[in-house]
Amino acid sequence: MTSLAVARPSRGWLTALLLLSLLAAVASLAQQLPAAQWLAALLKPDSDSLVQLRVHYSWLPRLCMALLCGGALALAGVLMQQVLRNPLASPTTLGVANGAQLALALATLYAPTLLLAREWIALAGGGLATALVFALARRRGLSPLTLILAGLVVSLLLGSVNVMLMLLQPQGLAALFIWSAGSLSQHNWDGVLFLLPRLALVLVLVVWLLRPLALLELDDSGARSLGLSLDKLRVLALGLAVFVTACVVTAVGVIGFIGLAAPAVARLLGARTLRQRLLCAPLVGAALLLLTDLAVQYFAGSFSELVPTGGVTALLGAPLLLWLIPRLRLPAGRPQPAVSALAAPHLAARPLLGLLLLLLLVSGLVALLLGQGPQGWAWMMDPQVLQWRVPRILGAAGAGLMLGLAGSLLQRLTGNPMASPELMGISAGAALGLMALLFLWSAAPLWARLGMGFFGALITLLVIIGFARRHAYSPDRLLLVGIAISALFDAVKMLVLSLNDPRGQSVLSWLSGSTYFVELPTAIAAVGGGVLLLLLCLPLGRWLTLLPLGESTPRSLGVPMRGARLSIMLIAALLTAAATLLVGPLSFVGLMAPHMARVLGFQQARGQLLGAALIGALLMVLADWLGRNLLFPEQLPAGLLAALVGGVYLIWGLGRRR
Amino acid sequence: MRLLAALLLWLPLALQAAEQGPYRRIVTLDWGLAETLVGIGVTPIGVADLPNYRRWVGEPAMPASVQDLGLRTEPNLELLTQLKPDLILITPQFEAARPWLERIAPVKSLAIYRPDSDPLHTAQQVARELGELSGHQAGAEQLIRDFEQQLAQLREKLANRALPPFYLVSLIDARHVRVYGSSSLFSSVLRRLGQRNAWQGGDNFWGFSQTGVEQLAEVPEAALIHFAPAPLGALQALQQSVLWQHLPFVEQQRVYAFAPAWQFGGLMAAQHFMRLLEEALLHD
Repeated sequence: MTSLAVARPSRGWLTALLLLSLLAAVASLAQQLPAAQWLAALLKPDSDSLVQLRVHYSWLPRLCMALLCGGALALAGVLMQQVLRNPLASPTTLGVANGAQLALALATLYAPTLLLAREWIALAGGGLATALVFALARRRGLSPLTLILAGLVVSLLLGSVNVMLMLLQPQGLAALFIWSAGSLSQHNWDGVLFLLPRLALVLVLVVWLLRPLALLELDDSGARSLGLSLDKLRVLALGLAVFVTACVVTAVGVIGFIGLAAPAVARLLGARTLRQRLLCAPLVGAALLLLTDLAVQYFAGSFSELVPTGGVTALLGAPLLLWLIPRLRLPAGRPQPAVSALAAPHLAARPLLGLLLLLLLVSGLVALLLGQGPQGWAWMMDPQVLQWRVPRILGAAGAGLMLGLAGSLLQRLTGNPMASPELMGISAGAALGLMALLFLWSAAPLWARLGMGFFGALITLLVIIGFARRHAYSPDRLLLVGIAISALFDAVKMLVLSLNDPRGQSVLSWLSGSTYFVELPTAIAAVGGGVLLLLLCLPLGRWLTLLPLGESTPRSLGVPMRGARLSIMLIAALLTAAATLLVGPLSFVGLMAPHMARVLGFQQARGQLLGAALIGALLMVLADWLGRNLLFPEQLPAGLLAALVGGVYLIWGLGRRR
Repeated sequence: MRLLAALLLWLPLALQAAEQGPYRRIVTLDWGLAETLVGIGVTPIGVADLPNYRRWVGEPAMPASVQDLGLRTEPNLELLTQLKPDLILITPQFEAARPWLERIAPVKSLAIYRPDSDPLHTAQQVARELGELSGHQAGAEQLIRDFEQQLAQLREKLANRALPPFYLVSLIDARHVRVYGSSSLFSSVLRRLGQRNAWQGGDNFWGFSQTGVEQLAEVPEAALIHFAPAPLGALQALQQSVLWQHLPFVEQQRVYAFAPAWQFGGLMAAQHFMRLLEEALLHD
């Protein structure tokens, strides 16, 4: 592992970065206005010249906004990292930014009168999200990676709630949409004047807290012996960081990853002590965001108003996170519990499987026959009506089955009880492949879609497993890599949607997991293929039982490691691609179903595969039924509902596990 | 034998005739078609996304008997089946759902927006086509006559006034607008009224373009018409924008706030737009 730390702060690089930003800003100004008018435009614009007015009231505040927001997010990142002793903590990775954004979105839609105090709503949202993340991680000892995992899971969940709002109010939320992706565009100085005093206040408080904060680098007993109330200090510093984030979100929306990247770059440049980092990181953050924003303005031309810079930073930030993860020296998390240690008392597997199958059949039948119609709830026997329900139910069941199976395979393969197509970014990989395909060839037939989804899923899986192998399969790191890939996908999705291309709009419903366009042959193929792959997996039971035990045990028992891993990966990628095609990339069923199967007592690999497949199918059938009836005649996507339920389950599961 | 042959010849013709209507139970996914139907005196049994119809189209109000069919892009097929329509009307943008819809009832696609044609002209065609389909030909002709009459009257009233060119926009947020260009319905109405659209930039297939508000300064003498609904808070935010305050039409108080009117609609929307214009320009 290479060390991030350089012996001494290297001023040279920092100066170079700042100079580059200055040059870029000057070049951007030169593009709009002859140099002779610069001074006038910047200080006292001629009100007859709209170009001068634009420079003064649009270009310049936007520039200041980029600097302020970049600096503020970096500051929040440094504070969070210092308090939590966790180099991955940041406004985005702890769910703060998404919490603030969702609170504002909800207020906009349902309680517009509250919007008079926007930043306080954002603060409440961000604070609640943080509290939730902490409540989850606390029970598992607040280990750094657990905290980040909890944060990213909460972010994912809040993100899916946000998508649901957009689906229900597509036109009303157009503005919210541009804003939520982080548009820096300004039309007066209000935004800057809003942010400036709040940041100044925070800065004063941080300077005041500088000495005690620096002592947090000592271990707890050392700091306590100096007479510090650690908890108070932590809460205060974290509160400041959340406040800064909330203010930035209020002003410009979610700007991804600057809060993570800037402190990391500062560290790379050699800033070691807190004082150095507090000085260096905001400068880096400001420069990074400014450069990104100027690049957006330059390349997007007249559309720069509508391309959200926040989306672009997330696009750049995700690869950075991927690069950082293997290079960070993290305090070791607690040893991860072996998969079998999680199991509940062993129940007889066979009757339980029978019961699950029966439950699945009954739910399928109820989902088929019971539903809302023009006269309200009714049992429906008309084959003309049922012809619409059958493919959706079968498609949902098939997708759930495959996700449950894929999740079980991945958990066995990595020996990680949190592994799943969703959290490892494999679904996101499949969806990226599919989106690329749909843009290049919008009428692509099913085989091409499946092939491209498979390709995306497999590449992601290979990258992740490659990462993991080089770093001795640290389970949490594996998930972080996966979530970084999901974040990359989210960024691409946001950008595509904000471009307002009709092709982008048409993928939104698929992305959120609607079974609406599933046809009967596809649905039958999904169930058939799922069952076939399930049967294919069953002979792998021995491998799957042995693989979680590590490297040497299975090898000594005669498992061909390379072949076993590769075949399992191929099957998992295929399952994920097919399921993503049906219900979109985010459902959490691939995580939930294997976990529930274990809780029910399926400890053997085969039992878990079967149990997870049945539970997965059951969950998706229920989600689809709920989606069709909850807001009748409007229909919510099954994948989205499963993700909401799954997110809650996941949060509950995270908090419960010890 | 001859009888059989005659029957065989007659049968397809009879079936074809039966297929061509007139249709009594019509549903539509498109709001422009829905309002035109109401305009020619036909009440559709179902229209997609009524809550947003009320918000974005407003007039004419849909009768209470009209069923909401769910989202326009994903109409509720179960509900649609149970309503037993005999005709489903769509526009080309909903063409993706056609294979599904055709299993419920015959599907007909009518386009008000077509490449290289005047939407006002096609709107009249569409009204006639709807008249044919529903057997309300007289209603369609009446609607077209009413429209032409209203147009002629308003054109006369505006003739001796020196009116500025108009920007027609919907606010996206405090910084961005959707501006309607020369191939939009309302621009076509303006043209027929002898007035001008101020937007010189291009527009897309649907007759609009997204842009920043400062782009609206290019024609200094222009006036601005913005249509409701504006997103929450956008109007208040605009009032505080210095650039907005320096736009010529704001400085010289040539800004008109209009009630919702469906820019992607047909003759009813065009009539609604003219009523709004008349109220704004002649009664202040």
